[in-house]
Amino acid sequence: MSGEVRVYGGWRDDLGLRVIPSKRIGKDVYEVFIGPQHPGSGHMRIIIRVDGDVIVEADPDIGYVHRTMEKLGEIRGWIKPIPLFERMAIHDACNITLPYVRAVEKLMGVEAPLRAKYLRVLLCEINRIASHLYGFAIFSIFLGHSTMYMWAMGDREVFIQLAEELTGARLTHSYPIPGGVRRDIPQGFPDMARRAVRYMRKRLEEYRKMFLENPVIRSRLEGVGVIPKNLAAELGLVGPNARGSGIAYDVRIIEPYEVYDELDFEVPVYTEGDALARTYVRVEEIAQSLRIIEQVVDWLEKKPREPIVDESIYKKYPPLHKKILESQGRAKLLPWMATMKVPAGAAIGRGETGRGEIIYYVESDGGVNPYRVRIVTPSARNVIAFKYALPGHRVMDLPAIYGSLDYFPPEADR
Amino acid sequence: MAPRVGLRSLEKRRTLIDGVRSNIHVLMLGVKYFVNPRRMTLVYPREYPKLSEGYRGFIILKKEKCISCAACARICPSAAMKMIRVQEPDPKHPGKAKMKQYPVINYQRCIFCGYCVDVCPTEALYHVNYHDIVYDNLADMFWDLETFQREPEYKTAAEGRPVRIVIHEELGLVKVPVEDKA
Repeated sequence: MSGEVRVYGGWRDDLGLRVIPSKRIGKDVYEVFIGPQHPGSGHMRIIIRVDGDVIVEADPDIGYVHRTMEKLGEIRGWIKPIPLFERMAIHDACNITLPYVRAVEKLMGVEAPLRAKYLRVLLCEINRIASHLYGFAIFSIFLGHSTMYMWAMGDREVFIQLAEELTGARLTHSYPIPGGVRRDIPQGFPDMARRAVRYMRKRLEEYRKMFLENPVIRSRLEGVGVIPKNLAAELGLVGPNARGSGIAYDVRIIEPYEVYDELDFEVPVYTEGDALARTYVRVEEIAQSLRIIEQVVDWLEKKPREPIVDESIYKKYPPLHKKILESQGRAKLLPWMATMKVPAGAAIGRGETGRGEIIYYVESDGGVNPYRVRIVTPSARNVIAFKYALPGHRVMDLPAIYGSLDYFPPEADR
Repeated sequence: MAPRVGLRSLEKRRTLIDGVRSNIHVLMLGVKYFVNPRRMTLVYPREYPKLSEGYRGFIILKKEKCISCAACARICPSAAMKMIRVQEPDPKHPGKAKMKQYPVINYQRCIFCGYCVDVCPTEALYHVNYHDIVYDNLADMFWDLETFQREPEYKTAAEGRPVRIVIHEELGLVKVPVEDKA
C-alpha cells in the first residue's frame, strides 16, 4: 500500500493513523466538532452539522469539567462547602454561594443582621459587574475585537480591587457565612467605591462608542441568534438571556432576598432576543449595579456599625472576639461551626447570579453533614439555547452567539 | 424605592450616515488613546504591589498563644492544616515532659480562605499581607512547626520597589509609590 488512502470520512496519514477532518453524514451535510480545545470557549464541545457554511444542527456536548460538586458537598460539614461551591464560578463567588448560605440559615433558624445583608448585596453587585465584564471580554475576543477585550479585563480589575479591599481575597472571597458575613468595610472603602463607580460610568460611555455602536459589531450581532420570547420560556432560560428575549424574570424582583426590595434599581428587559439585545442587557445591568453600589455604600457609611453576625451567634462571642469585631471589623467564627449539627429539614435557596437564577436544595437529617445538596446553576439551564439559537446561521456567527449567551462551562458542569 | 422592570428596546437598524458617524466616533476614541494612552503596567518584580493589611496571605502561627484546641484543623476545607504532637517541658512539673498538640500547614493544599485564622479562639494565627513566594521543590511547602512560626522571607520586597494600587476616578487603577519599605 503506498501513498494516501481515502477512507470513509477521512484519510490515512503516513503513520497509518486515521485523520478525520470532518464527517460526512448525509448529502452535503458534514459534522464539525468545535472544541473542547476551542480558544476561549473553555471546556465544552459543540458538535455542529453544516450544509456548506450553514449550520443545520447543533449539539452542545457538556461535562468536561464535572467535579461532583453535589457529592463533595455531602461530606464536609456545613460551612466548608462554601469555598468549594465558589469554584463553580470564581469571578461570581459571592453570588453563587449566597443562596447556599441562605438555605443553611433557614435550616439553622438564624438570620443575618441588616448591616450584614447590605454588605452581602454590596459584594454581590461588585461580583456581578466583574462577572459581566469578564463575559464581555470573552465575547469581544470571540468577535476579534481585542481592544474591548483589553478594556473589559482591565476595568474588571478595578472591581476585583474593591472586592479585595472588602474581603481580603481577589476572587474566592468566602464572604457570607451562615448568620452573617466575615468582614465589615475597611476605612476609606466608601470613597474608593464611589471613585470606582464614577470611573465605570465614564467607561460605559466609551464602551458604547467603541463596541456597542461600532458598525462592524452591530452588523455581526443584529438579528443574530434570535431566541423568541415563547422559545426562551419553553427552554427555561434564565438571567440576561431570558431578559434579552423580553421575559422579565429576575429573582431580585420576583422574590427579593437580602435587601434588594429596599433599593432603587431597574432590571433591564429587551424584547428583540438577538445577540445585540443580550449584550445590551448586560451593559445596562452594569449601570444598574453601579447604582446599587452607590446606595449601599451610602447606607453603610451613614449607619453606625453593628455586629455583622446573627444575635444568637454574637451572644456566644467571648470578649476577645467582640474586641476584634469592633477594632478590625472581622467577624470571627466559633469553633463549634466546624462540626455543627443543623436541625433536620429541607430548604431552598434562590439567588440571581450574573448569569441567571441559581437554586440550591439543601436537605439535612440532623447530622454534621448535609444529607443532600442539589445545585441548579444558570449556565446548566442556558446551555440548551445553543441547540436552538445556532441552526440557520453561518459558522462565523457561532462565536457571536456563543459569546452573547455568556455560557460558563465550570458552572454548568459543576 | 423598590426594584422594577425597565422595558427597553433597541434602536432600529440604522442608516448609512449613522454608521459613518459611529465609525468616526470609534476612530476618534482610538486617536484619543493613541495620543494619551492610559497604561498601568506593574513592572513585577522590580515593582510589587503593597497589599492592604487585611489581605489574606500566608498564615503564621504564634505558638505561645496556641491552646491546642484543633479548631483550625477541623475547619480547614482542604485539609491543609493538621495537628501534630510534640514533647514539651511541663511548666507545672519541672524536669518532666508533656505532650502537646500544635497545628502545621501544607501549603500545597491551602486555599487561603482564612477560616483557620477566623476560627482561632485566641488569635494564635494571623495572615501576612503577601503571597508571592516561590518554592524550589514541593517538599518545602510542607511547613513544620518551626517554619510555621516564622514569617517567610519576602524576597520580592528585597529586590523590588513597593507600589500601592489605588482606584482613580479618571484613570481607573493607578500605582502610587510607597515611601516606607517596611
